[in-house]
Parts: sequence; C-alpha cells; structure tokens
Amino acid sequence: MRAMTRWIRADLRASTARALVIAGVVAAVVTALLLSAGLLQGATNPWQGLFTATKGAQIWLHLAPGTSVRDLKSQVSGIDAVAGPYEATAATVVQTGARTRVELRATPSLPLIGRPLLISGRWLTPSSPGGVVLEATFAQAIHAVDGDVLTLDNVDASRHVRVRLIGIAETSDQGFYPDQTPGLIWVLPGLLGRIEPNIGHTEEVVGLRIADPNAASFIVQQVVTRLGNSTVGTVSTWQQVEDSMARRDPLLGLLLALFGLMALGAAVLAIVNVTAGRVLLQSIDLGMLKTLGFTPLQVLAMLTAEHAVLAGAGIVAGLAAARLLMPVLLDGVPGVSAAATALPSGWAFLIIGGTFAAVLLATAAPALQAGLVRPVAAVRAVPPRGHLSKLARTAMAARMPPAMVLGTRAAFVRKLSAALMIGGLAIPILMITVGLGFWSTVDDVQRNPADIGLAASVTVSPGPLTWSEAGHLIKADPQVQAAYSCVRADALALGDTTTITTLGMGTSAQPYPFHVVQGQLYRAPEEAVATQALLAALRLNVGQFVRMWIGGVPVTFHIVGRIIDPQYGGEVLAYGRDTLADEGAPTPIGFYSLVLKPGVSPAAAATHLVRVSGGRLDAAVVSDPADQLGIVHVALACLIGVLALLGLTSLLTASLLSQRDHQRDLSVLRAMGMTPLQVRFALMMRTTVLALVAVTAGVVVGRLVSTTLISAVSKAYGLGAGIGRPPAVGALAAAVVLAIGAAALASMLPPRPGGHMSAVAILGPGP
Amino acid sequence: MIGSDGTVLLRARSLNKIFAGEGVVVHAVREVDLSLANGEFVAVTGPSGSGKSTLLHMLGGLEKPTSGEIWLEGKRVDGLSQARWAMLRRRHIGFVFQFFNLVSNMTVADNVELAALMGGASRKQATARRRELLGELGLAAKADAAPARLSGGEQQRVALARAMANRPALLLADEPTGNLDSAATTAVLGLLARAHADGQGILLVTHDLRVACTADRVISLFDGMVVDDAPMTIPHRPMLLPDVLKLRG
Repeated sequence: MRAMTRWIRADLRASTARALVIAGVVAAVVTALLLSAGLLQGATNPWQGLFTATKGAQIWLHLAPGTSVRDLKSQVSGIDAVAGPYEATAATVVQTGARTRVELRATPSLPLIGRPLLISGRWLTPSSPGGVVLEATFAQAIHAVDGDVLTLDNVDASRHVRVRLIGIAETSDQGFYPDQTPGLIWVLPGLLGRIEPNIGHTEEVVGLRIADPNAASFIVQQVVTRLGNSTVGTVSTWQQVEDSMARRDPLLGLLLALFGLMALGAAVLAIVNVTAGRVLLQSIDLGMLKTLGFTPLQVLAMLTAEHAVLAGAGIVAGLAAARLLMPVLLDGVPGVSAAATALPSGWAFLIIGGTFAAVLLATAAPALQAGLVRPVAAVRAVPPRGHLSKLARTAMAARMPPAMVLGTRAAFVRKLSAALMIGGLAIPILMITVGLGFWSTVDDVQRNPADIGLAASVTVSPGPLTWSEAGHLIKADPQVQAAYSCVRADALALGDTTTITTLGMGTSAQPYPFHVVQGQLYRAPEEAVATQALLAALRLNVGQFVRMWIGGVPVTFHIVGRIIDPQYGGEVLAYGRDTLADEGAPTPIGFYSLVLKPGVSPAAAATHLVRVSGGRLDAAVVSDPADQLGIVHVALACLIGVLALLGLTSLLTASLLSQRDHQRDLSVLRAMGMTPLQVRFALMMRTTVLALVAVTAGVVVGRLVSTTLISAVSKAYGLGAGIGRPPAVGALAAAVVLAIGAAALASMLPPRPGGHMSAVAILGPGP
Repeated sequence: MIGSDGTVLLRARSLNKIFAGEGVVVHAVREVDLSLANGEFVAVTGPSGSGKSTLLHMLGGLEKPTSGEIWLEGKRVDGLSQARWAMLRRRHIGFVFQFFNLVSNMTVADNVELAALMGGASRKQATARRRELLGELGLAAKADAAPARLSGGEQQRVALARAMANRPALLLADEPTGNLDSAATTAVLGLLARAHADGQGILLVTHDLRVACTADRVISLFDGMVVDDAPMTIPHRPMLLPDVLKLRG
C-alpha cells in the first residue's frame, strides 16, 4: 500500500500536466453533460424540475364552493398533503381591446405546497391589495411585465377592476399557456371578492400531494367518490401537465437531444482517449514495477486508484462549473426556466456515476493489459516484425524518396498503435462532421422558416372587425406579400377519443405554402397534409383517408402529403378551409396568416397593422425559431471546439507513443545514412498517412450518419424525416485540412527531454 | 555445487525455452541444469544469442519456461503465477539490467525506497536504507534527481542500490556493465563484490570474459546449452578485483 501510494504521488508529480488534462477532460465532460441534460430537460420535460422546485401537488381539483376538504387527508390513504382550498373564479383580462380569459386564484399567503416560484417582482402582500401575480408563460403571451396595469372583468363583465402586476411566477400546477388555458393569476382573497362578489361564480381549487405518483388515477377516483360527483368540477393530474409541458417545443427539444447525444459520444471518447493514452505511455514503467515485485492486481489497483482520484477532482470541478454556467446559458434560451432545468437527482447521479465508471473502465482495460504483460517486455524492447511489401520495394526501386516510402510503410507496421491513432482521430472527425450537419440544419431552419411550416411570420385576428374588413386592411398593407385565411378547428378522429387540432390553411385554390417533404400539397377540397407526429398518433400513412368529426359533422380527409411543423406540439393536420364549407361543417372565425415581403420586420408589420386598424386588429408575431435556436449554434460551436481539442489530444498521444515506439527505427534509419530531415519527414509521413485514413473514414461515415441521425431523432420527436441537411462543403473541407495539418505538425514536435527511454536504451539486444 | 555455507539457493533442472511465432521456432534455452549455492557468485557467459538473458529472466520469473524445474531456497517455483513470482521477487530476488530500467517518473530516492517499501519496510526504515545505500554508492547528492539526468554509471549504481534495498538472497544481473565505460564497470564490479562478501548469491550474465572472471564459477552457454561449468580456481590466475577488495577489506 505504501509503495503504491509512493508511486502514485511520484507519477502525479512527474506528469502533472497529463494528470491535469484528465481531470480537466472529466470536468469538461461532466459540465457539458449536466448542462445539456439540464437544457434538454428544461426544453423537453420542464415539469419535473418545476414540480420539485415548487413542491408541487400531483392532482388538482376544481370543486364546488363550500366543499369541505378538511378531512380528505385522513379519509383517503396515500395523500401526503393538501394545498388549499383556494377560492377561484373565471375572469377576463382586457388589454388594448383584446380580451383574454383567465382564472383568478385567491391565496392569502405564499402556499407551502404548489408554491409558485417567483421569477420577477414580489409576492402578494396586504400592503398592496390591488396587486396580482401572473403565471410566467401567460405573462409572456400577453406581453405583460412588472408594474403594468391590467383591467380585470368578471364573468358577466359587470365589474371592471384595475390591478397592478407586481410579480411573475412559475408553477407546476398547470401546463404552459396557451397550450393550457385559461391563464392563471394569483390574487389576494379581498381582491377576488371585489372582482367577483357572486359566490355562485366561484370555485374551490385543491391540490393533492400524494405519496405514490403512479396512484394518481386511483386516488382521484377515491376522492371523487368521497366528495361526490356533483361537487367535483374538473380534475387534472401531473401526467396531463407533464404531457402538456413536454409538447411545447419539439424542435428545440430535438436539437438539444441531438446535442446531448453528441456530448455523450464525445464524453466517452474523451475519457477513453486521455486515460487509456496515459496508461499506454506508462507501459514500460509499469513492466519495470513488476520486476520489482508489483503483482498484476496491484498494478491495476494502483492505476485505478490514481485515476479515480483524478476523476473525483474532475467531477467536483465539473459540478461547480455547471452550477456557474447554467444561469449564463439560460440567458440565451428564452422560455426555458431555471427551475425546469434542475435535474432529478437520478439523472445527476447517472451522469456523475457514468463518467466515473468510464474513467475507471478506460483505466482498467489498458492497466489490466499492462498488468498481464510479462515484465520481460519492459526490459527488452522487441521490435515489430514485418516485411517490406512488394509495393514498398517497387516504390524504392522506382527511386521514390525513401523517407516517404519507409514512413508510409511504418504507418501500418505497429497495428495496435495505428488503430489507436486512426480511431482517436476518426471518431472526433466523424462527430465534427455530424456537428457540422446539425449546424447546416439549424442554419436552414433559421434562414428558411418556411421549410418547417413557418412561412407566415404574422397572424392577424379580425377582432371587432368583420372578416372582409380585416381582409381589405391586410391586403392594402404594402408590407404584406400574401395573406392566407385560416381557421383552427378541433376534430375527433373516428374511433379515437383524443381531440386534435386541425388547421384550414388558405384554400384549395390558394393553399398555405407548407414545405412538403413527402407527397404533395392539398390542391382540392378534402385533401390534407399532416405531420409525422399526427400520422403516427392516428396510425396513418400518406395516401390514406381519415374520417373525423368537426363540429358534429363527419369530414373525410385524403392525406396527400407530409409536412414538418413544430407548432401545436408537432401534431398538425392542414387542409384548405373551403373543405369545411364543402362538407357542411361549421367554419369558426379564423385568422389571417401573413407572409411578409423580404426584409420586412414581423414586429414592425404587426404594429403597423394594429395602428392602421385603429387598434381593432389583433396582430401577433409568430415565434421566430431563430430566437430559440441561437443557443444551439453556441452549444454546437463549443462542442465542435471540444471535439477539435480531443482530436488534437489524440494526435499528441499518438505522436508520443509513435516517437517512443519508433526511436529504434529512427536510430537505424540515421545509421543507414538518412539525414535528420529525412528521418523527420519519414515520421511525418507515417502520422500524415494515418491521419489521412482517419479523416477520410471520419468524414465518409459522419456524412452518412449525420442526415440519418437527424432524421431518426427527428422522427422520434414527431417532426418526421426531412429536416436534416448535409454539412456545408466548405466547413467540412476546412476541418479536413486542419486535421491533417495538425497531424503533420504534431509529428514534428521534438521528443520530450528525459523521456521514458533513451534511444541507446531502446537499441539494446533483441531476444 | 556447495557454496560458502553449503546450502543450495537456486537450482534449475532441464530448463527449456522455445519461442514460436510467425512460423519461426527458436529453441533459446535447451536442457539447462544449474545450481547456485547461498553466497555464491556465478557468471553465465556466451556469445550474443546464446540464451543467457532468457535463462536469467526465467530464473527470476520474468519469463515462463517452456519446460523444466526451478527451485529457489528449496521450493519449486517454476509453476508460480505472475503474482506469486512478484511477491517472491520483493524479498528474495534483486534484478539489475544492462539498461538500468529505473522507473522514469520517480526520483533516485523514490526508486530505491520503492523497492524497500515493496519488501515490507516502514517509511522510516525505507528512508534509512536508501540513505545508507546511496551514501555508500556516493550518490547521496543525487537523491532528488530524475534518473534521466544521471550518467549511465550513476544510473547503474542506483539500479544496484535498488536491487540491494531488501538484502535479497539472490541478485540477478543481466549485463550490468554492458553499457558502461571502464571506470564505471570497475565501480559496479566493486559493488557486486561487496554484495558477494555480504553473503548474497549472485548470478551474473555477461559476454565480457574479464567480467566473468570475477565470479567464483563460470557457466558457458552456446546455442542455449551449457557447454562448460568451471570454477575460477586456476592456480596461476592473475589477481582479480575481488581479491584486491578482499585484501583491502
């Protein structure tokens, strides 16, 4: 034990830089994984983090006023705590002519269960009785900020109360607005009484925190039985809220998932590379230790312990770095809340444990090999056997430069070392190629929003104007290139109980310009296009017919194409709005989708339309994917940088190994009359040939994998194949040139002074 | 063969080593019988490729014999696992190689102390033993140096100090002077003579006859076979270094 400790200390002292590289790589990996997992969770499953942060309740019930829930906890087993009852009522927010339905919830103080998480402003206090706190996504949707004055109308619009927004908070009680409506506003009980004095218009809201989340449905049944059917209005469970939150933004989720996949691959690669490389470089010393009496198991234990210490240090640094960096990253990701990115402890443990295990495994494999190799290998450097191939002989006879021929031949003499170098470089290049493919895809989405169904950048509702009045105003606007009249209609597929949102987008004669990735666009009534997620949900294929109930009328659609559209949770069925009239289904009042002329700012166009209509048109800017995808570019740039560094580390390790292995060859080459320059050229040739093989393999496989991987993940996220773009040729060429140049430069590095074995030592007797 | 105290330290019987690979079979050691008594100093000599180093490596457990028996201090050891051999080497066998083979990432002091610690010494004992050995070898000032900064002669003296750290009964030396100039060779032979005088058994592999002549007995190998095994008791031999050291001592 003492001897092992002594060796570890000496080794850490002697190769501090390499040890720091391992700890640094582990720290970088843990940071990257924690950040990407956090962002991924925040973007795709924000409920978990919010639930933990708000100490949420899994079940929410709207009950008739006056229902007693005092004994509910003792009457129904499995309930840990009861939040509320809070008095609640429906109301309307009136804002420059727009009316939005909301639920007011009266809380005398900040609740302990289902505790709203303030992200700005302050909570309600008796000192500001006219203050209200808005749920964050609702506040964002109605562009309300702290200090704004809002008008709240009661249900029958008989009362108008002006209130001041004093805080914005997040909650896990209900899904995000507008996926889940109405918007939520917390008020003091006194204010609720002023807005809605009629108790008959109020409800009681109760949250139940339960011990076993999987028992939610069972407990709901028991509670309903206990309280009586007539007193229970609506019920929502955590599964519904989680689903609703998760469907918010499949595109960002998809890209972050891809980023996570790449980070994971890079992590494993980085750890294996630096750790195994370090152990391989020590193989001679390790063999020597065995002649002194170290057993194979001791060699294994010693190296594993040493790297466990380094991994531990790296993990601690990584945890600290992730904690520091997450707020910075969140500033760049609109809509992802800090609480939502808090990883469940299981995930964090998985990342930390996985990283730790990867270090140990990457150490153990070469350490086991070093432990098992007979120590005599350490005291005798055995040169590899190999023949001069026919090709090499012919090349030499043809007066090709001997340094070039011998260097190329040397590339493949030591097969393990060659394989390590090719693998060490090919994998980062492969992943860089995939990363560049993601980059092109994100670029494409940002430059051509029409490809993902976002051709229109502004939507306009007629408000108090008639449909044709609104149409005239819009068509007269010089900034508008095209306006499509659209409707949103809920539909129920036959034999299915789930309601889906369908869109009448334009008309069969003038269809909305969807980007069709399979089949064609609707050109006749009853023809429709759908997204992959919708097709999957209804188990349909392009070319098939589907019958749905819209407004109580059966409508048959012929699915003629597949589109990509991340809106409405990625589940979209679109057709010409004339289909509804043709089939006799009621056509709800719709909205106009406006495609603007190139270079026109959507915000400016929306403001202009509202102004010319005298505030009567309700114009909204369609959320621009570019806003949310910026973070993906930053993350990809960081990842590609890290991968490039990994490739460089691989090259340096390979170069050190090669110099160690080839010292004997080099001395022989010198002795045969080659100049030092020729010898260097031979060494450079060896590395460059291997680098060329690695880069070619990496680029070819990466190019194949990139679009396939994007399509596969895209399919899994319901967006469907067709979004992936190949990497840009210029960027790929630059990566290839840089990699081969770096390989050539790495091979030119002078050997380390006082390295592991001197040339004289290696030129010892053979067996 | 009876040594200074008459007991057999190391015995090999019908030892064979065959290297086979890439269609070539090399019979490196053939039917070798040898024995070494406690405190005896035996040189194994022969031309390059005669199997000297392979024999030494087998006797120290670095290489597994193809067939034959090895007995150390009365126990048969040829079938031991790598781990058992390692444990045996810690206390009973010291190794010296032609190319020193010091652990490159450790200082001179660490190299010597590591061997002592492996042998079970406490930290204090290891430090004391290292001070004593490096002092005797004139290397006290180099204790904190890295091995790569030392000359060949100095590195070999450190390797000897490391091999003697646990006062092993058997010292196996593989061409310890093969890479040294004459002054360093004399110094190393003097140290071996001192170990011999302290009662350590030494098996020295060399192709240098002048070095072989310092031993009590010389075994000659040719094509892996023992062709001669003769004590160095020639009546009119010139006075050799061990004799000089004995006289001075």
